Amino acid sequence: MFDRMKLQVLANHARSAAENMAHTLQRTAHSAFVKETEDFTVMLLNRRGETFGVPMELGATWYPGLTYGRAIDMIEDYRPGDVAFTNDPYSGFVATHAPDTHLWKPVFHEDEIIAWTGGHIHNTDMGGAVPASLSRALTEIHQEGIRFPPMKLVREGVFDEQILRIMTTNVRKPDLNIGDIKALVGALNTGERKILAMVEKFGKTAFLDGVDALLDHAEAQARDILRAMPDGRWEFADYADEDSVTANPCRLKLTLTIRGDEAVLDFTGSDPQLASSLNVPSGGDPRHTILLVGVYYVLYTLDPKILLNTGLTRPFTCITPEGTVLNPTFPAAVGMRSLTCARLRSVIFGAFSQAVPERLPAAPAGNNCIVNVMTTDERTGSRIIAAVNPVVGGGGGMPHRDGTNGSGADAAYLKNTPIEITEMETPVEFVRYGLAADSGGAGRWRGGLATHMAFRVFSPDTRITARNRDRGFFRPWGVLGGRAAGLSDMVVNPGTPGERRLGNIDTAVLQPGDVLDIRSAGGGGRGDPFTRESWRVVQDVARGYVSVEAAEREYGVVIRDGVLDTQATDRLRANRPAPAGHFHFGPEREGYERQWTPDAYEFLTRTLAGLPIHWRFFAKTEIFSRMAGRDGAGGVEAALAEVYARFPEMPPSKALVREAAE
Amino acid sequence: MDGGLGEADWKVGVDIGGTFIDFCALDTRSGRVASLKVLTTPDDPGAELMTGLTLLTEREGLDPRAVTRFVHGTTVGMNTVIQRKGAPLALLTNAGFEDVIELARLRMPDTYSLFCSRPDQLIARDMVFGIPARLRSDGTERQAPDMAVVADAVAAVKAKGAMGIVVSFLHSWRDDAHETAVKEEVARLAPELFVFTSAEVWPVIREYERTTTAVLNAYVHPRISGYLSALEGRLAGRGVPARPLLTKSNGGVMNAAEGKRACVHMLLSGAASGVNGAAWLARQAGEPRILTLDIGGTSADFALIIDGQAQFGVGEMIGEFPLHIPSVSVSSIGIGGGSIASVDGQGVLRVGPESAGSTPGPACYGRGGDWATVTDAMVVCGWLGHSQMAYGQLRMDAGLARAAVKRLADELFRSVEATAQAILDVAVSEMFAEVEKMAARAGVDVRDFALMPFGGGGPMLGVFLARELGMPRVVAPRWPGVVSALGGLVADLRGDFVRTLFADLSPGLMPALREAFAAMGREGRDWLAAQGHTGAAELRVVADMRYAGQSYEIETALTPEWLDGNDPGAIADAFHAAHTRLYDFHDPDGRIEIVNLRLSAIGNGPALHFPTAPEEPHSASAERSVPVFTGGAVTPVGLYRRADLQAGARFEGPAIVAQEDTTFAIPAGTSARVDAHLNLHLTFAE
Repeated sequence: MFDRMKLQVLANHARSAAENMAHTLQRTAHSAFVKETEDFTVMLLNRRGETFGVPMELGATWYPGLTYGRAIDMIEDYRPGDVAFTNDPYSGFVATHAPDTHLWKPVFHEDEIIAWTGGHIHNTDMGGAVPASLSRALTEIHQEGIRFPPMKLVREGVFDEQILRIMTTNVRKPDLNIGDIKALVGALNTGERKILAMVEKFGKTAFLDGVDALLDHAEAQARDILRAMPDGRWEFADYADEDSVTANPCRLKLTLTIRGDEAVLDFTGSDPQLASSLNVPSGGDPRHTILLVGVYYVLYTLDPKILLNTGLTRPFTCITPEGTVLNPTFPAAVGMRSLTCARLRSVIFGAFSQAVPERLPAAPAGNNCIVNVMTTDERTGSRIIAAVNPVVGGGGGMPHRDGTNGSGADAAYLKNTPIEITEMETPVEFVRYGLAADSGGAGRWRGGLATHMAFRVFSPDTRITARNRDRGFFRPWGVLGGRAAGLSDMVVNPGTPGERRLGNIDTAVLQPGDVLDIRSAGGGGRGDPFTRESWRVVQDVARGYVSVEAAEREYGVVIRDGVLDTQATDRLRANRPAPAGHFHFGPEREGYERQWTPDAYEFLTRTLAGLPIHWRFFAKTEIFSRMAGRDGAGGVEAALAEVYARFPEMPPSKALVREAAE
Repeated sequence: MDGGLGEADWKVGVDIGGTFIDFCALDTRSGRVASLKVLTTPDDPGAELMTGLTLLTEREGLDPRAVTRFVHGTTVGMNTVIQRKGAPLALLTNAGFEDVIELARLRMPDTYSLFCSRPDQLIARDMVFGIPARLRSDGTERQAPDMAVVADAVAAVKAKGAMGIVVSFLHSWRDDAHETAVKEEVARLAPELFVFTSAEVWPVIREYERTTTAVLNAYVHPRISGYLSALEGRLAGRGVPARPLLTKSNGGVMNAAEGKRACVHMLLSGAASGVNGAAWLARQAGEPRILTLDIGGTSADFALIIDGQAQFGVGEMIGEFPLHIPSVSVSSIGIGGGSIASVDGQGVLRVGPESAGSTPGPACYGRGGDWATVTDAMVVCGWLGHSQMAYGQLRMDAGLARAAVKRLADELFRSVEATAQAILDVAVSEMFAEVEKMAARAGVDVRDFALMPFGGGGPMLGVFLARELGMPRVVAPRWPGVVSALGGLVADLRGDFVRTLFADLSPGLMPALREAFAAMGREGRDWLAAQGHTGAAELRVVADMRYAGQSYEIETALTPEWLDGNDPGAIADAFHAAHTRLYDFHDPDGRIEIVNLRLSAIGNGPALHFPTAPEEPHSASAERSVPVFTGGAVTPVGLYRRADLQAGARFEGPAIVAQEDTTFAIPAGTSARVDAHLNLHLTFAE
């Protein structure tokens, strides 16, 4: 039993070892993805391959609860100096899309593996159908690049040149991949050295006990947080605007049950797996880290002193039926799972928001749009491919503060590039880069404002990709009387006769002089906006965050010639009943859900779950195309009948057959 | 400057910290060194300085009329930002980009928290005015500033009661014509407003970094200016003939006239002076590689000194805002003598980041604090409390310390002593994590370094930290409490200049490099002349370079001769070597960009000689033995007075060395030696 009085000492050494690994990797990596976007993780793993230490300052925020155990077990006979790796989302469910390459290394102490070091890098490209290996349009994993199942990359300190040659042959930027992989191996070596130093300091037994104690400690902290929540059952659903190029919504549904110090997250009722790359490969692991990212945010927000490691995941059980978007089966494409993951987080936030409404914010914007430009530099004639700024929205209104503008919440890890640098390196000229008025959800605490960016291009056939476009239809929701936020949008040449609205389309071709105008969604509002102090509304108007019209309409605050009209404000505010209901979703979702009622979805998902997996998305799409003029469960039933009439080959849904038998 | 005033010639360094104002004075004629700490007077900054001068006169015989060098470091700028007491300002910038300071670089600390947020800006959005105006990235003009809009903005600024305006336009690093034109227009319309342009404060590429630096400068300008004028008046009133010099964030000094305008260069001067003083001491002690550790009441600061030189960086935080002029690189963590220990819900002991500060301070200060702090743990273990502290201005009440720690011990079901030891272990492990991280960033192994503890708290915990880090040696100066003041005393005049080039390193660029170097050299010499410097000027030139596509630059020192001719090979080689040193690889075929060329004009400060004594080895004898809980048991430990330790003295740990400004805790397994400069050298068995 580790001396708990000294546990913080061990925790500091573990954190320090992980931070060291991260700095080593960031210093020595080659690609912008690792060095600047910080799309990487490093971690210390216990003997079972469970994460017990992660860096807090560098890297992505997704993997403190990752376990490598399944992948570790797929290789036999580890020796000192070995490093194993995989990027296959379907081998051990460690990697979650093909560009993410995970490595792990045993840490030997006197002929015994006492720990592992691990980590991942996002490779710029792993080959496959499109540059960067990521496109929503891809439909099976084979299009998303070369995949390596778990195998040894380094044997007793020596790289396997055959593997490197295979990778070099198959990917578009092999130097970057191999440079980054070698940097990650260096980081794993650093971690190994630091772990051995910990073993020396604390002693082997104390180290092993201490690592267990760190996991137990995080588990106890998580259980304390859950215990402080009321027992109960809360349902919540949220939608990605489009499930594929077919552009029907993709619904994620969660039933959260908290009992004592445990929680069950049942995602039954979520959409079937998609014929696009928006699937999230969890393998059905009830504690897969990618399902729990939203939970980490909730736990950390409620207790910033929480230790981030696998212990956190123990009180949670996720249910993800096989063949659904959160547990796709091979060979479903998964490359763009980041879009779905953003929605997955907001579903989790929404469920916990009902459990502890007084302690959590409204929805963050939830669309972390990454913009790339492919164009020709007219000054040099050379082709340029460059990332422009991420366009991210605001955080949701908090219990005692407005949502953060232009970033925040689950997007706070993203960085921008200075306008001056981008304009020097890339032949684009920015027209604006700032915050969008009236984009934050109105509330007692206003949602954070959206980012609004526009730039002009100068070369013919300039290609734009804007990954993770979403929230162009379903708004970030407000809570406790707060209003839903403004929508995202992408427009070419706004305000001109040639204006083209692109909505969620994530690619565009621009011609010389064209302006691309991108706006993110905002953050949802929190609390009744009519109770926001009028001076704050006046200040928001003065700052250009809220228009005079919106101040009157959304907040009941009347401003004439820049001055608060107290009487008119009092009159307006007195005549409005307090808003009802926990959530405000906005007219689009309200309208959509009049057609697609909970009953309709209940019937749909139950029906689809009774079909063979490869029929489900087809059936969903065909039903959606026959819903015009229909609504509710009855409407879905009628549409389904039409689909069966048109496609008699479609097998009967087991769910319906069973019901009929009962 | 001694005409008839007797023999004395005093050089005085004064540094204001959070709790104390520190003095380090040297009479170059007699070799007499005087040091002093005085509690600060937050409500009347500067008053304590006069108190200190009076005390130095009374105790040490310092004659104010014999002070020929007076170097001052002040936190008044930093406090202005932290307390949000700066000038009400407006910002004029390009229309369409008004949110430049709010958006910053997007990424926020604490990325796991849904409550992560940015600070309220020093200039709120309603005081930001978008001016239709645009330069292209190549410096050509797309749209001239619309002066009608400027006029409207100035009218609004005046109506809203701002004192000053910051003007920052895109690409002004390349051509500041728009900024200058708008500044002139503002001056014409509203001569009562002060105006700073971003390019005149620090003309680097990257609009946010340049703008926030200019905003910080303007924000602190009136207060610093007022403070310095008052200081000049007070010194003159005492008959001090020296005109005050101010310490800078770059480790150098400047005169007060410059300080009133280039305020932003003073913001980190306290930490920089400490590192500068430590570097001076390290050179004197013959230690090329030093990790400095400065522990105060609320925080611990670390810095690396490599080859006797402080390291520089940009982006250091001033309160909640980053400062983008090169400053001495210092890492900080919220663990200090006043850090509070607590037990969390799961029975795990934690230390910090909450601090009892100096008021009420640790429980043992007897000023009403009852939280158990790191200092209280030191007292409970027996390391502290055997002599007067801080020149007699603090008294330690061991009973109060014990009572505070006992409350935690009861929660943990442990002895008071074991709990106190655990508090020290946790505090040291927090620092360990911070230092390891800093070393990983810098690409160095601290085991190749010696630790130099200073500040009131550095010597308390320094030896424990050095051992935790596996460092072989500790070197401690004679007066650890006044190292920052010493750093000012010995500092050089140092002015920094920058030109952003943002161009590929190629033979064709060489004429532009030479031109930039020559222009900055002229500015540098002029600057030194304006500071009254008459001696030789040393010009140091560095380039901020990167491979094309990278987004961080590496500072690479250049030899001016490399700029001659049209072959950039030597510059490229230096960059490749720097890249390898830091990142373990280089790309011989990679395209290299020079982002900035920077120049430091240095006018050497006085060559001061502190007294030395021949180092004659002898074993020192302890004044007495005191009981200390260390290594799991109460052990008799020798108590030494620093004032009694002569050059050549040797003794073994465990030991306590007490002196007026600090106390050293030296565990068993340590050998101590005093060198000719009276530095204390500690080495560890193993």
